[in-house]
Amino acid sequence: MRRHLLASVIMLLGATIVLGFGYPLLVTGISFLLFRHQANGSLVYRGGKLAGSSLLGQSFTGRNGNPLPGYFQPRPSAAGTGYDASASGASNLGPSNPLLAGFVPGVNTVGLNGQPSPVNPFATKADPACVPTDPKGNPVTSPAPGQKYARNGDGSYVCDPATVPERAIAYRQFNGMPPSAPVPADAVTASGSGLDPDISVQNALDQASRVARARHLPVREVVSLVHQHTQGRPWGFLGEATVNVFELNLALDGLR
Amino acid sequence: MSASGWEQLLFIVAVTAVTAPLLGRYLAATFRGGRAPGDRVFLPVERRVYRALGTDPESSWTWRRYALAVLAFGFASTLLLYLILRLQGVLPLNPTHAPGMSPLLSFNTAVSFITGTNWQAYEGETQASYLAQMAGLVVAQFVAAAVGLAVALAVIRGIAGSSRTIGNFWVDFTRSLVRVFVPLSVIGALVLVSQGAVQNFSSFRTAQTLVGGTQLIPGGPVASMEVIKLLGTNGGSFYGVGGAHPFENPTAFTNMFDLLLVIVLPFAIVFMFGRLIGRPRQGLAIAAVMAVIFLGHTVIAMEAEAHGNHLLPASVSQAESTGNPGGSMEGKETRFGPEASALMTVGTMGTTAGATDSALDSYTPIGGTGAFVAILLGEISPGGDGGGIYAMLVLALLSVFVAGLMVGRTPEFLGKKIRAPQMKLIVAYVLTIPIVVLAFGSTSLVLGAAKRSILNPGMHGLTEVTYAYASVAQNNGSAFAGLSANTTWYDSTLGLVMLIGRFVPIVLALAIAGSLAGARTHARTRATLDTSGPTFAVFLIGVIVIVGGLIYFPMLILGPIGEQIVG
Repeated sequence: MRRHLLASVIMLLGATIVLGFGYPLLVTGISFLLFRHQANGSLVYRGGKLAGSSLLGQSFTGRNGNPLPGYFQPRPSAAGTGYDASASGASNLGPSNPLLAGFVPGVNTVGLNGQPSPVNPFATKADPACVPTDPKGNPVTSPAPGQKYARNGDGSYVCDPATVPERAIAYRQFNGMPPSAPVPADAVTASGSGLDPDISVQNALDQASRVARARHLPVREVVSLVHQHTQGRPWGFLGEATVNVFELNLALDGLR
Repeated sequence: MSASGWEQLLFIVAVTAVTAPLLGRYLAATFRGGRAPGDRVFLPVERRVYRALGTDPESSWTWRRYALAVLAFGFASTLLLYLILRLQGVLPLNPTHAPGMSPLLSFNTAVSFITGTNWQAYEGETQASYLAQMAGLVVAQFVAAAVGLAVALAVIRGIAGSSRTIGNFWVDFTRSLVRVFVPLSVIGALVLVSQGAVQNFSSFRTAQTLVGGTQLIPGGPVASMEVIKLLGTNGGSFYGVGGAHPFENPTAFTNMFDLLLVIVLPFAIVFMFGRLIGRPRQGLAIAAVMAVIFLGHTVIAMEAEAHGNHLLPASVSQAESTGNPGGSMEGKETRFGPEASALMTVGTMGTTAGATDSALDSYTPIGGTGAFVAILLGEISPGGDGGGIYAMLVLALLSVFVAGLMVGRTPEFLGKKIRAPQMKLIVAYVLTIPIVVLAFGSTSLVLGAAKRSILNPGMHGLTEVTYAYASVAQNNGSAFAGLSANTTWYDSTLGLVMLIGRFVPIVLALAIAGSLAGARTHARTRATLDTSGPTFAVFLIGVIVIVGGLIYFPMLILGPIGEQIVG
C-alpha cells in the first residue's frame, strides 16, 4: 500500500505539471497563433471601446427596465437580472411549475406536501394587466377548491408577468399583434445559459415593424436587414437557423 | 420530430459507425502488448514515467494488487484536489478572486471530479479559481478517464485471458493518457477554439453595451477543459451552465462535435474489446446492444422536446414552422433548438459524462424520463470510458447465467464457466447502486432540510431529488439543477454516494475478473450458447431493462410519468 501511495504522489505531481499547466498553456499558445479572435471571446469594439461579444446576448432595456422599442429584443434571460455574463443560468423551472406555465387548473395547484397550495402560486408581482388563463387561453374565473387568490381592484386575479402566458400577452401588445396571434416559443421562454445571443427568424420578423416604427425606417429595410443577419443551419441540417440580436442591433445603429 | 432532427440523429449514428471501429483498432493495437503505433514518439515518454514511478512495465499483477493501486491512487488524488480547492483563495492564478471552498464543498467537489462524476455544487464563474480549474479539476478529469480505461483493460484480461494476472495499473494508466487522452484532447480543443470557444487567461472584461449599460465578459482556459470533460466522459464544465454557454459550445456544429467526443470513444473501447479477445463479432454484438438503448432514450427525448410543453397556452406556437423551430424551448438555446438540444443532452446521459447543453429541469416529463432512464439502466449506452464495457460485461455474465438456468446447462462466457463465486459478486455489483439510490433518495424526501432544497413543486420535485442520487451513484453528474445542492446534507451524502458508486463497482468488477483469470477455457461445441449473435443481444437488452428498469419503476411512476399523465 505504501508503495502504491508513493507512486500515486509521484504520478500526481507529474500529471499536475504536464496536464495542469503544460497542456492548457500549449492549447492557449496555439490558439493565440491561429484563432486569436475566437480564443479571446469573439469581442466586438465600437468606436475603439469594447461593446460586447458576438457570442453573448445583451439586454436592450431603458433606464426604467422596460424594453426599448427601437431595438430587437432578445429572449427572456435567467442570468442575474438579465444577460449578466458573470452569472450565467437557466430558470430551471419545471414544465408544470406555475411560475413558468402559469395557472393550469388541476395541475400545478398542489404543493410539495401533496396538499393544495394555500396561496395563488404565481401572485408574486402585482400586474394589473394580467389575467390567468387555462391552456386553451380562456380566462380563469374560479380558483381550485381550497385556494386563496390575490385579486386586483377590479376583481381579476393577480399573476406573475414572468410566466409564459403573461409574456405572450406582453409580446403581442409590444409588437402590435392581435390578441390571439401565435407567438414563437423562443420569444417567451428563457434560454439555457441566460446569455443566448440569438432569436428565431420568426421572432425577429414579428418585431421588425415595431423597430421600423420606432426608428422611422421603412419596414422593408428592417426586414431585409433581418434576412442579412439570418444564419442558416450549419451544414444545412445542424441545429436551427438563427438571428444574432447583438449583431442585428449593431447594424441597426449603423444605419443612422 | 422534424426531418432535420432525423438527419442529425442519422449523422451521429453514421459518423460513430465509421470512426468507432477505426479508433477501436488503434486502441487494440495500443493495449495488446508488444509493438504499437506511435512507439517512436510515445515509448520514450512512458519509459521515463515508469522509471520515476519505480514500476517494472513488464510485471503483471493479481486483481487484488491492481485494485489496491486504484484505491490508493483515488485516495491520493482526492486528497490533493481537496487541498487545492480549500486553498485556492491564497494560491496564484485567481483573477476572479474566488475564495477557498468550504470543507464540505471541497470534499464534494474533489470526490466528484476524481470519480468522474463531475456533479457541480459550486458555480464555475465565481467559486473556482483558474488554478483550481486547470491544475485541479482538469487534471482530475484526465485521471478519472484514464483510470476507467485502465480498469476496463484489466477486467477484459481477467474475463478473457488465460493468465492468472490482469496487468499493471501504472502501465495501463500511463498508456491511456499518453496515447489516447492527451493527443486527442489537444486536437479537440483546437477545433473548439476555431469555432469560438474561449481559451485565455483574462479576468472579466467590462463592455459598454449598445444601450449604454455594462456587461462583464468572462474569460478562462475553457476549451482545454471542455474537451477532456467530453472525451473523458466527465461532464464538468468551466462555467455553471455547461454546454449551454456560448463560450463553451458556440455553434450547432460544436454541439454535434461535443456529442461525438463523448460517445465515439466508449464505442471504440467496445470494438477494442472484440479485437483484444480475438472475437470481433462479440464486440459488435455488445456495441449493437448499446446503440439500440442509446437510440431508445435519445429518440424518445427528441420526440418529446420537439412536441413541446402541452401546459403552455396554445397560442404559443411550439409546432415547427418556417422560421420557428418551436418545441419546448424553456432552458434551451436558439442555435440548437429542441431536437439538437435533446440529442446532445440525452445522448450523453447513457455515458457517465452527463454533459448538457440545456436545462434538464425544464424538459418535458417524458424528455426528462429519457435522460433518467439512460442513467438508471446503468450507464451502458455506451457508458463511460472503460466503465461502459466493464458494466456491460457484468450484465452479459448475468444474462448468460439467466439463459443457462432457462435451458438447464452450466453458463459459459467466452469459454469460461460462471459458477457460484462469480454469481455472488455479480449480484452484489448489480444491487449496490439501486440500494444506495433508493435509500438516500427516500431519506431525503422525509427530511425537512433536504426537502427545502427542492425548487419545483409536486411530482417534479420528487424527480429532482431521486435524479440527483441516481446521477451521482452512476457517476453521471448531470442534474435537475433546480435542486439547491450546496447544503450540508447534499454535499455530504452525494459525496458519499459518488465514492460508493465509483469504487465498489470497480473493485467488484476486478474481483470478478480475478476469479475468472486463469480459469480453464472450454472449447466451443454445438451446445454452447452463442453470445455474439442477435438472439443473445436481444436477451441481453431484456435483462438490462428488467434489472435496471423494474427496480426503479415505482420511482419513475411517482415522478416523471405521473407528472406527464396528471398534467
